Amino acid sequence: MMLTRHPSPRLAAYIDRQLPARKARQTEIHLANCAHCRAECEQVRLGMAALEHLPVIEAPAEIWASIERASQERRARQPVMSGRWRLAFAALLILALVGAVYWAVGNRSGIRWEVVRLAGSPVVGSQRIQAAGRIGAGEWIETDSASRATVRIGEIGSVEVEPNTRVRVAVACPAEHRLALARGEIHAKISAPPRLFFVDTSAGTAVDLGCEYALKVDADGYGRLQVTRGWVSFQWRDLESLVPAGASCWTRAQAGPGIPYFDDALESVKQALVRFSFEKGGDDDLSIILAGSRVRDTLTLWHLLSRVPGADRGLVFDRIAALTPVPAGVSREQALKLDPETLKLWKEELAWTW
Amino acid sequence: MVPLSDREISAEIIESCRLGDRDAFRALYDLYKDRVYSISLYFFHGDQAAASDVTQQVFLKLMTGIGQFRGDAEFSTWLYRMVANACTDAARRRKSDAVLPDHPVEAIAGPASQEEDYARAQIARSVRAAVAALPPKFRIAVLLRYFDELSYEQMAKALHCSMGTVASRLSRGHKILAERLTGLVRSSAE
Repeated sequence: MMLTRHPSPRLAAYIDRQLPARKARQTEIHLANCAHCRAECEQVRLGMAALEHLPVIEAPAEIWASIERASQERRARQPVMSGRWRLAFAALLILALVGAVYWAVGNRSGIRWEVVRLAGSPVVGSQRIQAAGRIGAGEWIETDSASRATVRIGEIGSVEVEPNTRVRVAVACPAEHRLALARGEIHAKISAPPRLFFVDTSAGTAVDLGCEYALKVDADGYGRLQVTRGWVSFQWRDLESLVPAGASCWTRAQAGPGIPYFDDALESVKQALVRFSFEKGGDDDLSIILAGSRVRDTLTLWHLLSRVPGADRGLVFDRIAALTPVPAGVSREQALKLDPETLKLWKEELAWTW
Repeated sequence: MVPLSDREISAEIIESCRLGDRDAFRALYDLYKDRVYSISLYFFHGDQAAASDVTQQVFLKLMTGIGQFRGDAEFSTWLYRMVANACTDAARRRKSDAVLPDHPVEAIAGPASQEEDYARAQIARSVRAAVAALPPKFRIAVLLRYFDELSYEQMAKALHCSMGTVASRLSRGHKILAERLTGLVRSSAE
């Protein structure tokens, strides 16, 4: 009987009954005729059985206590209302609602985020912030060389506004939190599902994928995104750079994001990337990047694949393949054609080394 | 796999959490805390401090972000995505977890007073060491499969990869485990 391809990668799915009926049947027939795969299947079963020796461990009670503490600290920052004021508050609430409806006419959401002064005299609109203030959609916050402030981004995180920065709240509502950074530097710490927080710059938009990062841009639109936790996607027109923790990418007005790189990459590689991304760097720069790349620099090479001229894609593919095995499902032909599914699959595999 | 009861989170509890109901959040925490902690603990080779950090971080994020949870994904997929991200981020920050100290098995398995308990603890110790030695991408997949009965589709969403990749990682991960534990598991099963 003719055998199908060895089903090694899907043996776990076969054992867990997660294969579609046709594939399960194919696997079953193959196993009946292939002693090597039967032995392999038995090994996967034994590996699964071994885990039965690992008990579920009860989480220490201190964890809940620390969550409570952190939560209380957050609540303490919010105004507290005693019981006897509740009636008065209810009456005031009605008035406030009327005001809010009026305000909402001129303001997209009516939500205003808290601004806390960290140093100097940050300005919101035309008002100097002494200790704390509020900022809503359409308003600017500006710091001079001695000022810093924190903006609390609704319930999802905070942004520190560094000196000499000008930033506007573009949208402030629960489904979208958007800033526009005209110049200067911000540090964002966001804890929320992906794609709820955005920062627009003249070079494109930083899209939060659950993360912590610094973003700076000068008046000429030169900037840099540096991610310290999670992931950020920087997008401009059809260009997208995915930047994980420990990596950065340069940005330029009307040119979008450069190719991301790990901060510990070779200096020569970083310099070549700037030339390649923004200064029409040529073969020499490509050679420097390829030769200086390590396994984790496949982050850079994966992005490079779709940004080099078609004739150079083979060089990039071969370099990645030399650094780490090409996974099943990724063919050279499809990768060089920039097939989206192939690139996505490859990225998912490579990302474990990033 | 770990037997689970009451593993389904009702839409009502989620909705109550979204509205800031602390009792509902506590119920949610109680339902998932041990699995989240156990996954983190075995991921970090029995390092209780690292597992506590990850568990706290995950539930704080959950508390903050649940207001934005739109219900367009399954809750457990969202939760385990946070667990996988937190574990891999923490592992990255540690640079290399190959140099992690071997935490004493008693720290997670309890004291072994009888011979049988001792033998069982020894096996658990070997399994734990073998799991900890897996490459992170195999390790997290193996632990997610074992500690919750997620479908491969749910695991694929939680791990940002295809179902084929999940299957491949689980096949290779369990095979490596069996190779490293040759004799041990077979004899204990007999």
